[in-house]
Formats: sequence, C-alpha cells, structure tokens
Amino acid sequence: MKNHSQTEQAMFDDQEGSEPILDKTWLSPPGFFGWFTHVNQRQIGFRFVVTSLIFFALGGLLALLMRLQLVQPENTLMGADFYHQIMTMHGTTMMFFFAVPAMEGLGIYLVPLMLGTRDMSFPRLNAFGYYVYLIAGITLYIALFLGMAPDTGWFSYVPLAGIDYSPGQGVSFWTTMITFIEISALTAAVELIVTILKQRAPGMTLDRMPIFVWSILVMSFMIVFAMPTVMVGSVLLALDRTFETQFFVAAGGGDPLLWQHLFWFFGHPEVYIIVVPALGIVSTVISTFCQREVFGYTAVVLSMVTIGFVSFGLWVHHMFTTGLPHLGLSFFTAASAMIAIPSGVQIFCWIATLWGAKIKFNTPMLFIMGFFAVFVIGGLTGVMAASIPFDMQAHDSYFVVAHLHYVLIGGAVLPFFAGLYYWYPKMTGSMLSERLGRWSFWLIFIGLNLTFFPMHQLGLDGMPRRVYTYLHNMGWGEINFFVTCAAFLMAFGFLLTFINALISPYQSRSAGNNPWHADTLEWWAESPPRNFNFRHLPVINSRTPLWQKAPLQKVTGIRADRREIIITTLLDAKPQGVCIMPTPTYWPFILALTVGFGFLGFMFKPILFVVGFFLSFFAIVGWLWPARPWLHEQPPEDGHPVRGLQ
Amino acid sequence: MRSPRNNERKTAYEDVDVSNYSRHLNGHNAPIWWGIIGLILIELSVVSAFTVTYLYLYMQHGQWPPADIPAPPLLIPTWSMLLMLFSCVTMYLAGKSIEKNQSWHFVIYTFASVIMASSVLWIRWLQFDNFDMRWDEHVYGSLLWTISGFHFIHIVSAAIGTAAIGCFGMAGFYTKQRQIGVVVDTMYWNFVAFAWLPFYLVLYFFPRL
Amino acid sequence: MNLGIKLRDKAIYIGMLLTVNFPMAYAQSQSAIQPASDQARGISYIWWSMFWVALIVFVAVMILLAWGLWRGKSNNPSQLSYLASRNLVIIAGIAVPLITVICLVGGSLFLGRSLSQQSPDNALEVRVTGWMWWWQIEYLDDNGNTIATTANELHVPVDRPVMLYLESGDVIHSFWVPQLHGKTDLIPGRTNTSWFQVDGPGAFRGQCAEFCGLQHALMGFLVVSEPKAKFDAWLANQQAPAPSPSDSKTLAGQQVFFESGCQQCHTIRGTEARGTAGPDLTHLASRQSIASVTRKNSRAHLGGWVADPNGIKPGAKMPMAQLSPKQLSNLLDYLQSLQ
Repeated sequence: MKNHSQTEQAMFDDQEGSEPILDKTWLSPPGFFGWFTHVNQRQIGFRFVVTSLIFFALGGLLALLMRLQLVQPENTLMGADFYHQIMTMHGTTMMFFFAVPAMEGLGIYLVPLMLGTRDMSFPRLNAFGYYVYLIAGITLYIALFLGMAPDTGWFSYVPLAGIDYSPGQGVSFWTTMITFIEISALTAAVELIVTILKQRAPGMTLDRMPIFVWSILVMSFMIVFAMPTVMVGSVLLALDRTFETQFFVAAGGGDPLLWQHLFWFFGHPEVYIIVVPALGIVSTVISTFCQREVFGYTAVVLSMVTIGFVSFGLWVHHMFTTGLPHLGLSFFTAASAMIAIPSGVQIFCWIATLWGAKIKFNTPMLFIMGFFAVFVIGGLTGVMAASIPFDMQAHDSYFVVAHLHYVLIGGAVLPFFAGLYYWYPKMTGSMLSERLGRWSFWLIFIGLNLTFFPMHQLGLDGMPRRVYTYLHNMGWGEINFFVTCAAFLMAFGFLLTFINALISPYQSRSAGNNPWHADTLEWWAESPPRNFNFRHLPVINSRTPLWQKAPLQKVTGIRADRREIIITTLLDAKPQGVCIMPTPTYWPFILALTVGFGFLGFMFKPILFVVGFFLSFFAIVGWLWPARPWLHEQPPEDGHPVRGLQ
Repeated sequence: MRSPRNNERKTAYEDVDVSNYSRHLNGHNAPIWWGIIGLILIELSVVSAFTVTYLYLYMQHGQWPPADIPAPPLLIPTWSMLLMLFSCVTMYLAGKSIEKNQSWHFVIYTFASVIMASSVLWIRWLQFDNFDMRWDEHVYGSLLWTISGFHFIHIVSAAIGTAAIGCFGMAGFYTKQRQIGVVVDTMYWNFVAFAWLPFYLVLYFFPRL
Repeated sequence: MNLGIKLRDKAIYIGMLLTVNFPMAYAQSQSAIQPASDQARGISYIWWSMFWVALIVFVAVMILLAWGLWRGKSNNPSQLSYLASRNLVIIAGIAVPLITVICLVGGSLFLGRSLSQQSPDNALEVRVTGWMWWWQIEYLDDNGNTIATTANELHVPVDRPVMLYLESGDVIHSFWVPQLHGKTDLIPGRTNTSWFQVDGPGAFRGQCAEFCGLQHALMGFLVVSEPKAKFDAWLANQQAPAPSPSDSKTLAGQQVFFESGCQQCHTIRGTEARGTAGPDLTHLASRQSIASVTRKNSRAHLGGWVADPNGIKPGAKMPMAQLSPKQLSNLLDYLQSLQ
C-alpha cells in the first residue's frame, strides 16, 4: 500500500541525482508567510543573532541617552522618571534581550554545523523560542514608547517593585516579560543540550568536540539550573502585585531579602552564562589564527565546567551590605575569588598557544587581543569586589559599574564581535571589510577604556549607581563629561561594525568554504551553507577534522526525500538510529502567540491567563498532530530492516 | 601538541552506512526522551526553588504557622497523594499494553489514570476551600496557596495531555514501534506525581515541627 | 488677585533662580579614599594593597602576552614545548592566582571581622530610619528611648564611637558615608547595625546607595563631627522644644504653618504639629542644609523649596504650598526662627 509507494520514491543522499531532492526536502518556504513557518536551525539561529544585535543597538542608544543626562551636574535633559525607565530598559535589554539570545543564537547557528548534522533536535521548539523572544522584546519596547516601561532597575528590588511603591503597569510588564522570555532561553538550552549530546557526527567522541560546543553545553546547563529561579522569583513578585500575596512584604511575614536571594541565585550565574560561550569563541579564534590546537584542551574544558559549577555559589556577594552575618558572607568571598583560578588557567592556556605562533592579525584576532586586556582588568576588579570590606565601599557605586562593564564588554561583547567577524563569511558567504573592521575595533577598544576606566575613580569618589543626576559641588562633573564623550566614541566604533555588516554582502568579497583555514566542521559546509548544511554527513576521526590530510569519511544511507539525521551515543558518538525531523509549520508561531496572550492578559485580567493556557493546549495538540501517512516499518528480516523498506 | 595523534590512535571509523538503522526511536535513542529529561530538570529547579523558598521563610519565623492557625489536616492530602502515586502504576500498565500492541488496554489504562488525576484535582479543589488562611493574610497562606496552585496546574496539564494521548490511542496511532509519545508522557506524569513529595513534606509536616 | 499670583510666581521664580545659581557653599568630599575614621582607613589600606597587586598582575600578564606574540614575530619563531606550556599554566595560571587570592581573602576577612564586631560599650546610639527620600535621625538614651529627633544631619562627638541602628520606613535604602565607613542597607522589617568613630571635627557627606525610586539620586545627608562640649550643647538644644514665636512676623508665620496644613506631615515639638510623614522641623534653622542636603539652608532656598518642592526634587512627596508672598515671607520668618 502506502509503504510500497514510499519504497519506490525512497532516495538516499549518497545516490546519484539526490542533491536537488535533498535541497528541496530541507527548503525553508520562501515568501512573507513562509517566514513564519521556518524551523531550520540556521534560519532561527541567524534570526536570534540579528534580533539580539538590534536589541544591542537599542540598549546602546539608551546608554547614550543616560550619558547625555549625566554629562553635567543637575542636567535637565530628562526627568528622573524617564531616566529610571531607560536605565531599567538598558540593563534588562543587555542582559535578557542581547547577551543571552546572542550567545544562544550563535550556538543554534553553529553547533549543528560544528557537530556535522543537519538540524537541531527540536526544530519547531527552536522556532517557538525565537517568537517568544521577539514578542517579549517588542512588548517591552512598546511599553517604553508608551512611557510605561518598568522603572525599578533590571534587578527590581522589592519593596520598591512591589505594588505599594510601583502601582503602575511598568513593573508588571517586567515581571511577565521576564518570565516569558526565560521560556525562550530554557527551550534553547534544552535543545542545545540534546543536540550536543545526541547528534554529534559518528566518531566525534566527547573529547573530540570543539571547545566552542563545550562552552555552549556548559552555558545550556547553567541556563537550565539558573533561569527557573528567576522565573519563580518573578512569578512570586507578580502574585504579590496582582493577588497581594505576602512573599516579599515584611508586614505580612514575607522577606524583601528573599527576592535578592532568588534574583542573584540566577543573576550571578547569568554573568557566566554570557561569559562562558564567549570564552569558547576566544579558544576557537585563537586556535584558527595560530593554526594550532589550543594548548590544554582538557584543562580549558574543565575550567569552563568549574566556572559553571562555582558560579552557583557566589550569589551572596551581591548582598554583602545587607547585614547578613559576616562568617556566612566569608564563604562567598572565598568562592568568588576562586573564580580567578579557572580563569587564570584559560588565560595562560591561550598565552601558551599564542607563544611563538605565526599569527594572522585579522579583525577577529584583534578583538581577541582587546579581550585579553579588558577581561583581565575586569577580573581583577572582580577579585577586589569579592573582599567584603572593600565591597562595602564599592558596592552600588560607579566602581561596580566600571567593573561589570569591563567584565561584560571585555568578557562577552568583544569575543562576540570577534565571533561575528569570524563567522560572518560562513553565515553570508562574503567577507567583512578588514579596513572598517580595524577602525571599528580600535574605536571600540579605546572608547570603552576611556568610558569605563574613569568610572572606577567616580566610584571611589563616592558616586552611587543609578542616580539620574548629581549636585554641582560633588566634583564629579569633569569625569562625567569626559566619560560621556568617550561613550560616543565607543558607540561610533560599534556603528562601524553594523555598517560593515550591512554593506559587505554587496562588495563581492566571496569567502569560499574555509577562508581562515579553520579546523572545525562548519567550514566544511559551503558559505553560506545549503539548505541541508552538508551534502554528506561526515564521520570524524580527530579533534581537528579539517586539518587532517585524508578526506573526511562519510555517512551513507540517509534518506534525501525526508528530513533525516543521525542519532549517536552520548559518550562515544556511535550511530544509534536515524531520526526523522519535522517540517516547516505555523504552529510554533501560533503557540508563541497564545502563550504570549496568556502572559500579557494576566497583567490586565488574571483570568485571561487561564484562557491562554487552554488556547496553548490546542496549539500544542495541533503542533504534535502526527502527519499521515504514519511512519510504518516493515517487520525486520534477520533482525534488521532491509535497506529501502523504511 | 600530543593530543591529535592521541586521538587518531582511537578507533577510526570508516564510512558508515545507516540505511538499515531503525527510524523508530522509542527510548534513550530518541531526542525527545532527552528533551523531556531536560524539561524535568528545569521543573526540578522550579520545585527546589519553591521548596527552598518555603524553608527560608519558615526559618525566618519563630512561630509557624502564625498564631491561631492550626497545622493543616493530614488525612485527605495523604490520600490524594497516594492516589496520584497509584496513577503512575496505571500509566506504567498503559505503556506495557502498547508494548504488546493492545490498543484498547492502553486506552482503558490511560483514561483510568486521567480519572484518578481528576479525582485528585477535585480533592485539591475542595482543599482550597478549606484552607485556614487566605493567600493575602500572611506569607504562610501565600505559600500554601501558591505551591498547591502550582502543582494543581501541573496535574491539569498532565491530565489533559494524557487524555489527548488516550484519544490518539483510540485512533490507533500508538503501536509498539510508535510509542515514544506514550513513553515521554509517562515520564512527565511520573515527575508530576513525585514532585508532590517535597511539597507534601514542607506543606504538611513543617507546620507540625 | 492677578497681581498676587504674579507676585507669587515671581517669588517662586526668584527662589528657583537662586537655588540653581548658588549651590551649597561648602566643599563636599564623598571620597572613599580620603578616610576620616579607623573603619574607612582600614578599607582604604585594603584598596591600595589590592590596587598595587592588581596592577602588578595586569602588567605581568600583558608582558607575558606581548613576549609570546613577539616570539612569533621574530625571525626564528619558537613555540613553547609541551612541558614549558604546562609549567606556564600551572605556575602562572594556578599557583600565582591561588597564592594572591589566599592573601587577599585572608586580609579582607581579618579586616571584615574587626569591622563586624560589636561597637564599644560607651558608644553613642543613634537610630537612622530611611524614608523616600530623606533620613530620620533619632538619638537614643541608654534604655533605647528617643531623646531627640532630627533629619538629614547626623551630629557626632569626635571622642566616642557611634553605633547606628539602621531601619527603613518604606523601601530599601543604604546608609553610606564613604569617608567614615562602607555602606549598610536599611531593610524593611530588619534592624541592621554599623558603627564608626570619627578622627576629628569636620563635615562628611553621605548619600543613599541603594536605588529607592525617583529621588534616590538626591537623598543625601551630612555627618558633622564636633568636640564633646560643642556636641553636648548641640544635643541639649535638639532635645528642647522649639522656641516660641517671639514677634508678630513669626507668630503670623506659625499661623500660616498651621493654616496650610504643614502639621499633618511635620512635627514641631512644643506645638500642636505632630505629623510624622516628613522630617521633624523643631530645630530646622540649626541645620546647614535642606531637602536632604540638596540645597543650602538659606532663606532663598527655603522659600524656593516651600513654594515648589517638585521644582527642585521632582517626585518629592511634599505638596506645593499655595501662599501669597506675604504669607511665604512670614512662614520663612517662622521657620528661620526654629533654632
């Protein structure tokens, strides 16, 4: 019957003439409406990266507005209320809408390519995560344009963020949208974990996995354990605000400090969720531009894993001034300072790799060099802030503003931009302009140091964070003026990279498959990769597959006329089965809309949440509805199904 | 730089032909199995966050529950918990019947589980009516309502999800080869049933300490 | 009628003009590295030692990096052997950070323990309560009873430790006088403590360090340290009720005070005014500044503040007073008589 007709059509990707069929099988439907059906990992990953860069630009513009307000004492450019809104939105944007989605986006785009597979484990979930992210981001920015944005800081400390002191909808937007966007982070994390553990090319044992993939794996596990805490926190806060529960209300037996524990138990790992993938990028770029493997693969991987673990034991160092007992706090001083060791191991593994190598200083490598200087400074001030007495002075002052921007820009943004320059050719097929790249790098590097280094001084001079203005006679005016000018310099540097990325595709600098002569599998695919990523799926026999002399072995027997990928074992990556992947569909978009309706509705009428819940249930059933004909396998002959009969 | 050679010394793979590998993945070889493990890990983080929140607030107070409030009764919650745990057995039997391709047994066991979950929901609903404290009076009440409500929603999801699976089963979708949907639904069902244990302990025993 | 409004607007305008153009006269340092107490000095020692260690570490890492890069540029590039690389990582990446970190952690724990110890027995006890966006300061006797209440200006003697009980009336604030000590949060439902002893006479500015809403930026206060005799005289004056109006102008001013409803929020001990939502004004005129150390306590600034608090501090909870110029003038006479 049906099986018979299937058999006649069956076409394997190793057969003559299978290429057009394979191409059609993995095609993402074109057109505007087609856009909402895309599920391929490269489309979704690319969207994540582009969208996160748009949010980066928006967050940066907000930062410039803040700097304009602070350019002189008692400036009247904007009111306190508006300043607090853009301050909150800057932090929220950079943490939740830029850094995490950007790193996840790179992971979603690159991990399947690096593993030698054709898609992620749950392509539709991937698309769902993207729409959730998009809806949450757009909603918060609409709130900002309506002047209803949250204004209690990206950390939303209670009781200030409670209903008594923030009666408007601003904080409600924050609690619902933060809960909502964490769904996106969590789906991406689970998906990356499963893809990395189960879809590596045959032969890619765990210790042959590229370091970048390791870093994404560590990041994903951290997301799985950290993000639920902030979801619980923001849900409790939403309940406090909507139903007057008493979790954070001291008068009702609750405790404002509980919020800080919940928030920072997520908030500190969050920093490393952003930094660890960036460390993976550093290792990748260094290895490529030195044309040698990073020294100490095991040490580098273990360092990242250690950072992942230890980062869950540091959250109280955000609470050194809350009056908790000193003995208890001391543990967190020691743990915080100990992060210096896995970081030190990685830094010196990289230096050992760089030592005496013939290095090509293309733009990605320049950004990595900048990373070294900036990240080391950020790390050192971090060790300082781990000291309880010093932190009592530095905490919530501009010293900490300087420290965190050194860590996050040095430790995450510079490597991320190195990654953009490095992988742009793979994503688009054309090289970025080196000239603009160099200009951009130097402007960013000089600009960020001039912007943030003087802030250390401001902090020691006693300037607290999160102030919308300061008095004339405080003596902070000159430095603030200087810092504002420098911030525009840095912004101009970032602008050059954006321009570079927009004009480069029109300048016909064709990249070729492997412009940097790199060693990892993504460079085996075409630039940009075809719909099916790889014409044939590879078999791996070393850690640096593209540097080995022999051509890669190939997997045969994958059907070309439906979306098939190989599942391999967890440790040794032995082939285990073939999984048939879902096709493009509208359901993820619909589900994102129904879930979003539930969350947004909750803000206005709690009963709408229940409506959203049941709408979502129908969307999920529609999503999972099995397509006919149902997959049917002939009874195996001699214990194995025969080729061509599946 | 010794590592590359080290690596090459390991088993070298030749070309791999996967045409005769199974396309029916029903256990550890199915990505969705691992995906559900991921979901359960996330939910476990949520469960522990709630539990730790309860313990944290419990330790902030000398008197728990607050004055004039009796500790919640034990009998009914214990029965509802046992009922929920027992539904794991029927879910297990449902899985077993799919293994044997007995569709109608599967449907019966699935709906038995759904009915048990619904009775648990009904009992919980009555409990909400009889709580000694409103959610907005004191944080003790907030915890009682929120944690019970959180788990209530999970039983609702598990029950309607399993009901949907039962319907697919009636349509004959599930067979020995196509049973991954049942496998992962059972995993989630078991998680929902067992996630109540820590909540049961904190909600019903800590007020008695 | 029209004229009156115009005059009032003019008074407000002049008051605002003055407030903008004549900021507080005295210089204000808020620097953590210009310590004026043992506590702040200890922290600044820690800071400077960490600063030099960090500088050395940074320079060393950069030199190693540059050296390595330079080896690659030279005519005869030589990569590190496996052993040399391993030793580099073990020594520079593990051993050196470990030792440095242990020293830093040990040093800061030692200092931290001494900072967190109980204050000496003879300490002056003061309760500081944070409100959006000002500081209530209450001096306590040995039994913990309030003997004097003031706002935004903490006077302390130079020869005695000062023990602070930090509480909050609404949201979380943080008490921070960088020259005297690190910060400690004021958290609703809790009482935190902190103590310091000032080296010598002086005025030290502090400011709220935990984001607390609209006027977080301008929630300042002043610590004034004085020799014992001067402090005792000051405290005795603060304990006394407010001086009664002595002439017709101040008497009229007092009437304006009550007619305008100021007493609903403010206390003036010795009168019927017992409001608690705003600062205690019993000895307002004895303070150096108004509006949480945002403006100097002069007639012009006080007038500008009373006429339009939100013009100086947007979001301030004090309502605008609807006063004629004469009423305003009388009220200022009265307030300025509250020595």
